[in-house]
This record gives sequence, structure tokens and C-alpha cells, in this order.
Amino acid sequence: MKDLIAYIAKALVDKPEEVVVTEVEGEQTSVIELKVAKEDLGKVIGKQGRTARAMRTVLSAASTKINKRSVLEILE
Amino acid sequence: MQTYEFQAKTDEEAIEAACRQLNVSQDEIDIEIIEPGSTGIFGLVGGRKAKIKVTLKAPEAPEEPPEDEEGVQVAKEALENILALIPVEGTTVTADRSDGTINLRIDGDKSGLLIGRKGRTLDALQFIINKIVNKSIEKRARVLVDSEDYRQRRQDFLIQMALKMGDKAKKIQKPVTTNLLNPHDRRIVHLALRDDEELDTKGRGEGIMKKVVIIPKKQNASPGRL
Repeated sequence: MKDLIAYIAKALVDKPEEVVVTEVEGEQTSVIELKVAKEDLGKVIGKQGRTARAMRTVLSAASTKINKRSVLEILE
Repeated sequence: MQTYEFQAKTDEEAIEAACRQLNVSQDEIDIEIIEPGSTGIFGLVGGRKAKIKVTLKAPEAPEEPPEDEEGVQVAKEALENILALIPVEGTTVTADRSDGTINLRIDGDKSGLLIGRKGRTLDALQFIINKIVNKSIEKRARVLVDSEDYRQRRQDFLIQMALKMGDKAKKIQKPVTTNLLNPHDRRIVHLALRDDEELDTKGRGEGIMKKVVIIPKKQNASPGRL
């Protein structure tokens, strides 16, 4: 899950080296925290949050596959 | 790339001379003015010749296809990488490009996992790939992602639904409203009913998702409120 978000985020931003993804695993739900360079924040969120929503959709599809739930948090 | 230098009294004359000598039209060369010509004071003192540098432009045709192909490659790789990380196994991605559109087809996802409810996952993948591709290439390209012919099936379904709702609107002589649809789906509904002269279609709502209202045109009545 973590690698998936890291890959997408790195492909979207200008400073891929500053992308940091951490995963806090719970029993059923894991929280994935995404941190990017300040200038890149808009790129991972997108207009009206479209990019963030798209990432969450892909993430939830991936989690369904392993019968889990994942939440994506974008940290400032 | 070859460059040549030319000198003449004025810029224009230098360009003309360049075209004549290289036997090309002005569109086929890049012109860089090194020194603009100057007639000096009263054309007497300090007159300088204009100096220009001319570069033959490479023919345009061979330059573009590689650029297009590059977009296709980027799109295909990005999608394959994402699929591998989800992870889905046993899928293959085929890609081609026609005009400004890159078509990506995913084969082998039998579960419909990649399509999602109402194509949401497919749309999300498409959106992300679009972003990634258009970040790396200069000319904007549209990326379409399809799996198991979902796009075609969805289009057929939407057209059927539009026609059915259109019939209903005519029968009850009242507007009929669809569910919230994305722009692509709305377009299909509008187009499906465009040629029906008894019906009007309008979008309603705010944001990306809107409803389509199908309105029966009243015979010899005032224009509708909508």
C-alpha cells in the first residue's frame, strides 16, 4: 500500500526525493501518511482535491483486494 | 544542425540573401540577428552591416512521432507500475496513440477490481495517468484507460438509459432527471438525445458531477423556465 502511494506521489511531484510515506497499520484499517515538499502540496491534492481523491480511490481498490481498509492522510 | 552567417546592408536584405543562397523559404530557417544594420549618422559615419545567423530547421515531420511515442511509453509504464503495486496479477496493458489521445487497454482483470463502482477506479487511474503523462511531455495528450471494454459497455448503457428517460419525459410531459454524472457520461446523454426534436437536455448542479435534465419541448408554448 505504502509503495503504491509513494510511486504515484513521486510521479506527480517536482521533488520526488522529498516524498515520504509512512504506514501505520491497525487491525483492520491502516493509515497512510504522505508528506511532500511544500511546493508540491498542491500537486498531490489537485484542483478541488481531485488528485487526492483519485489516489484515495486507487488506494481503496488496492485495499479491498486484501480485505482491508486504508486511509490516506496528506500531511502539511 | 548547420548554421550560416550572412551580412548585408539591412536585416531584410541579409535574410533575403540567405534564403536565396540556401535555396529555402523563410519558414524553413531560424534567423538570429547578431548585429542589426545601422546606417550611421546621416548615412555617413559609423554605418554598419547587418549580420545574421541562419540555422536550417530540421524538417518537422520526423521530429513529432518520437515525442508522441514517448508519451505512450510513459503512460504504459506508469499504468503497469501502478497495477503491479496494487497488486493485480495476470494483466497486460496495450497502448496506442491516435492524434492527441493515448489509449490504454487493460486485459485480464476478471474481477472488475480496476473498474470499481460506476467506473470510479478506472476514472481515478485515468486521471492519475493523465497527470503523470502531461507532466513529462510538452504537447498535451489525453489519456484514456479502459478495462474489459468497460467504456463501450458504459456508453451503450447510458444511451439506452437516455432514450428510455426521453420516452418517459415525452409520455408524462415533465422533465426527467438523471443521477449525478461525470462530464464524459453527461456528454453521452446529451449526444444521445441531440437529434430528438421533442426533447431538450440541460445540465444541472455544481462541480464536476452534475445531473442531466431531459425536458420535453412543449408544443406551441412559451420557452421553458429551465
